[in-house]
Amino acid sequence: MQNQRTVVDGLRVAVRALVYAVLGGTALLAIATVASVLGPMLALDLYTPPVAAWWTVFTAIAVQGVPFLLLGTVVSAAIGAFVPEEVFSRLLPRNQALAVPVAGAAGVVLPGCECASVPVAGSLMRRGVAPAAALAFLLSAPAVNPVVLVATSVAFPGQPKMVLARLVASLATAVLMGWLWARFGRDEWLRPPRRHTDPAATGLRAFTAGLQHDFLHAGGFLVLGAAAAATFNIVVPRSVLDLFTGSPWMSVLLLALLAVVLCVCSEADAFVAASLSGFSPTARLAFMVVGPMVDLKLIALQAGTFGRSFALRFSSVTWVVAVASSVLVGWWLL
Amino acid sequence: MRRYGPAVLLLLTGAAILRISLFSELYLRYVQAGLRPYLVVSGFLLVLLAVAAAVGGRPEREPHAEQGQHAEHGEHTGRDQQREHGEHGEHSEHDEHGDDQHGGHHSPRVAWLLTLPALALLLFPPPALGSYSAEREAAQRAAQGIGHFPALPAGNPVALTLAEFSSRAIYDSGRSLWGRTVRLTGFVTRDADGTWYVTRLLVACCAADATTSEVEIRNADADAPPADTWVTVTGTWHPKGRLGTDEAWPPVLDTTGVRRIAQPANPYENR
Repeated sequence: MQNQRTVVDGLRVAVRALVYAVLGGTALLAIATVASVLGPMLALDLYTPPVAAWWTVFTAIAVQGVPFLLLGTVVSAAIGAFVPEEVFSRLLPRNQALAVPVAGAAGVVLPGCECASVPVAGSLMRRGVAPAAALAFLLSAPAVNPVVLVATSVAFPGQPKMVLARLVASLATAVLMGWLWARFGRDEWLRPPRRHTDPAATGLRAFTAGLQHDFLHAGGFLVLGAAAAATFNIVVPRSVLDLFTGSPWMSVLLLALLAVVLCVCSEADAFVAASLSGFSPTARLAFMVVGPMVDLKLIALQAGTFGRSFALRFSSVTWVVAVASSVLVGWWLL
Repeated sequence: MRRYGPAVLLLLTGAAILRISLFSELYLRYVQAGLRPYLVVSGFLLVLLAVAAAVGGRPEREPHAEQGQHAEHGEHTGRDQQREHGEHGEHSEHDEHGDDQHGGHHSPRVAWLLTLPALALLLFPPPALGSYSAEREAAQRAAQGIGHFPALPAGNPVALTLAEFSSRAIYDSGRSLWGRTVRLTGFVTRDADGTWYVTRLLVACCAADATTSEVEIRNADADAPPADTWVTVTGTWHPKGRLGTDEAWPPVLDTTGVRRIAQPANPYENR
């Protein structure tokens, strides 16, 4: 009885395996044949100039982002592994309303573009820095560091007011966003970036583990953002913009949108802004203030680090605040 | 693959970066020249990390396993494997939602996207942007005021970038181009009516921010080469329009010589 059952069971398994093997094998064979015949034909047909340009822009954004992303993840992994938790609570004022501007001004010390600041802000939160302060740092770091300001002054020769306006408008946006988060932000929107390794592990091992994970994770989202940016770059010709240079209001909104879809790195966006010669100085200021704070690649990176519901809410409010502050600062200074 | 996933990904990315920055000058198709040292350092760092990931492997067993579970593992060694399996199943479910708070020692699923640019760079590096991109964007002229430019360097002909030639042609009240023979390098773009241009893309940081400068070629004795051919042209400036106006744009070169060349190592002009 018992024996018979095992035999029947065995047979059934064998038959099933055979059926799977035959079906799967046939399917694989068919796919392989079709792919090997159609593949090269299709590849040649599809590799048109726009597709080639898409690949170039896509890889360019990814390649350009890698060193900065690595810098950001090295800093963030070092904070996670080597800096004890008390340091930040001692350095930053206890009062959140005060901590936000201090953190915003501290953005000066991270000389990189926006890819670097997302992982660093994540590790600051893990180290017990209030989210509002960490977010102010996230927004200000790529916009107000010396490298970016020098690039801006090179791109706008003889216009030191442009550099000042960029500094003021970016800091104002970052601090305002920090305060808004402190007042209205809810912790459940923010998926706290948790440490994935053994919390007891410190030192070199935690550093490499954190670095590997953070880089791979953020790198994936960087690629996602690069794909989106390359698509916009190819699908929407920049000359469409010239239709709107006439109206000052439209041009501000348009360049602020362009900054989101173009994803130009914050160290280069001043040059792009300078080349948009048909637009008012305020519109170009908006381009440079919005760009380092909200763009497709950043939204993808933030969604990966802090969760999608956070990234969408935070980015859309930041966009509005950044546009408003550049209009005000532009009206005052430019 | 699960065990070596992070190592493979890091190695691929690092190898791709090193291939374009250290072992060739392909990086110039994508980013500006100044980024090279950073790319080389990043490439080495990534390869080192890959080695560390492969050797270090899995230092702790399951990062999110509680101490109690560890004890259980010990007792039911026979079912260990099955259990591990179950836990891995859970992992992939979490990862699918981009929620990889447990994933210390295998790569988050989104990271596999890195293989896309990495393999592209290793196997078939995308070409430099050319006439397609140049023709889509109206050529930009740098915004500057009319002024007196410093004297041109000596030499006959004097080699200039297209950007330099254009801004001198349009904004130089000192007319420093007057009477000088210049040599320009770029690729060919053509209008429907047969006018052709020598064109170059300008890149400030990476190819995503490329802008165009172009010079119209006149009186060349030869026919226009096909689009995207790289050429060096010599000739003299042909003044037109008032300085700083739209009529002065694009600048024109009375051409005496056109020579086909191979694509230069750096296909773009840097700002």
